[in-house]
Amino acid sequence: MERVVTVPVVNSLYDTLGAMTMRRSIAYPLVALGAVGSTLFVAAPALAHGYVSSPPSRQALCASGAVANCGQIQFEPQSVEGPKGLKSCDGGVAGFSVLADEGRNWPAKAVGRTVTFTWVMTARHRTSNWEYFIGGKKVATVDGGNAQPDAVVTHDIDLGAFPGRQKVLAVWNIGDTANAFYSCVDLNVGGGAGSGATTPPTTAPAPTAPATTAPATTAPTSAPITDAPAPAGDGKAWAPGVAYRTGDEVTYEGVRYKCRQGHSSIRSWEPSIFTLALWLPL
Amino acid sequence: MRPRHAAVAIAAALLLGGCGTAPATAPATAVATEAALQAGGAHNDTDVMYLQMMVAHHEQGLEMVRLAEKGASRAELRTLAKAIDVTQSDELKLMTGWLGEWSKPTTVDHAPSAHADHGGLPATGPEEIAALRKAKGAKFETTFLSLFVAHQHNAVEMAKLETTQGSNAEAKALAERVRLSRTDQIQQMLTLMNS
Repeated sequence: MERVVTVPVVNSLYDTLGAMTMRRSIAYPLVALGAVGSTLFVAAPALAHGYVSSPPSRQALCASGAVANCGQIQFEPQSVEGPKGLKSCDGGVAGFSVLADEGRNWPAKAVGRTVTFTWVMTARHRTSNWEYFIGGKKVATVDGGNAQPDAVVTHDIDLGAFPGRQKVLAVWNIGDTANAFYSCVDLNVGGGAGSGATTPPTTAPAPTAPATTAPATTAPTSAPITDAPAPAGDGKAWAPGVAYRTGDEVTYEGVRYKCRQGHSSIRSWEPSIFTLALWLPL
Repeated sequence: MRPRHAAVAIAAALLLGGCGTAPATAPATAVATEAALQAGGAHNDTDVMYLQMMVAHHEQGLEMVRLAEKGASRAELRTLAKAIDVTQSDELKLMTGWLGEWSKPTTVDHAPSAHADHGGLPATGPEEIAALRKAKGAKFETTFLSLFVAHQHNAVEMAKLETTQGSNAEAKALAERVRLSRTDQIQQMLTLMNS
């Protein structure tokens, strides 16, 4: 019943927003573009740039929280930038040396013989090429045509000649700078279907870990993304990492709230005047 | 409508939305929210620039999550998209309200050359959103997740600019909330990409 009540409320907010957006876009040409634009980007921080997100690179495992205590790289997995021609996982950046630490027992993703590498790019540089290495040997080059990359960059790379546990070094060579971006991806090749489970951390090569331990793809309904410490709702204290449903009630700083929009709770989404779209004070 | 009143009206609208269940408490809460929803007068160029950049960034982000609310196959991802939609919609109103208070425009120059000057284009532009619009089925989730993770990385980068160089306390607090929430959203999305 609560669900039914909240829907029109949310819709009316969209309508308001839609109207605002329209007004703004009409006003757009009237703004002194030159004056705004010229000061805007000079002071902007250096935007950095890209990494392999799937199968997860080491920096992606740090950023997702799958591997803990990585240091600064967990907040900027896109920043492993170094001069072209390196063969290191950390791009020679001292602050990111954890990425080259083989003692960390990086979990290896079980994959089939052909692996689809997906890149996240936070700045779309013109691209010379992408290169993939195993054990210092080049296994593939994908030409970038010295053009801006497509919206989504994925490469299907045949790793059939490299069965078992492997460390793949993926390199994005930039076309308009001397630099490249480095991602190391730990894989267990031929160990399961293409989108298999992540094998537990292990130092020895594990040739056959079947991918049957990944329930997430078969039960997508409403499982929390992270472990829920307690069943959600009914006036319990608000906590991060809980999959709250519309209608759930929590207590936060002495006030009771009702969830208006289902979500998995994260930092800064606790009940407050800034999250009235998620939590209604009772 | 004067900007100050716009901010208050937003708070009232949000509360009135749920008022059917709690009419008695709403007026008191509305009064309590009024002060915090205004940015106050003091600000510098970075505050203005940050809010203008984030208004444009939010509009793009909303376009993307609204596609994901319909196009994602996993319920988990549709729920995340919807929650981002409602929270960022409110942030957008807050930011346009503050720019109004300061009598500043809410738009910025989107010319690609302005970005190219500092080393490349940002993660998402019209072409990327067009690609997302075209993507269907399993390809949609891959496209959305890689684009939106990058989009939120950009938000974290911009938040850093505001928290280090901005001067307005409310705008800096917003940037800090953006930094935290986007970092955690990236965490959730990277997990979804690999599950």
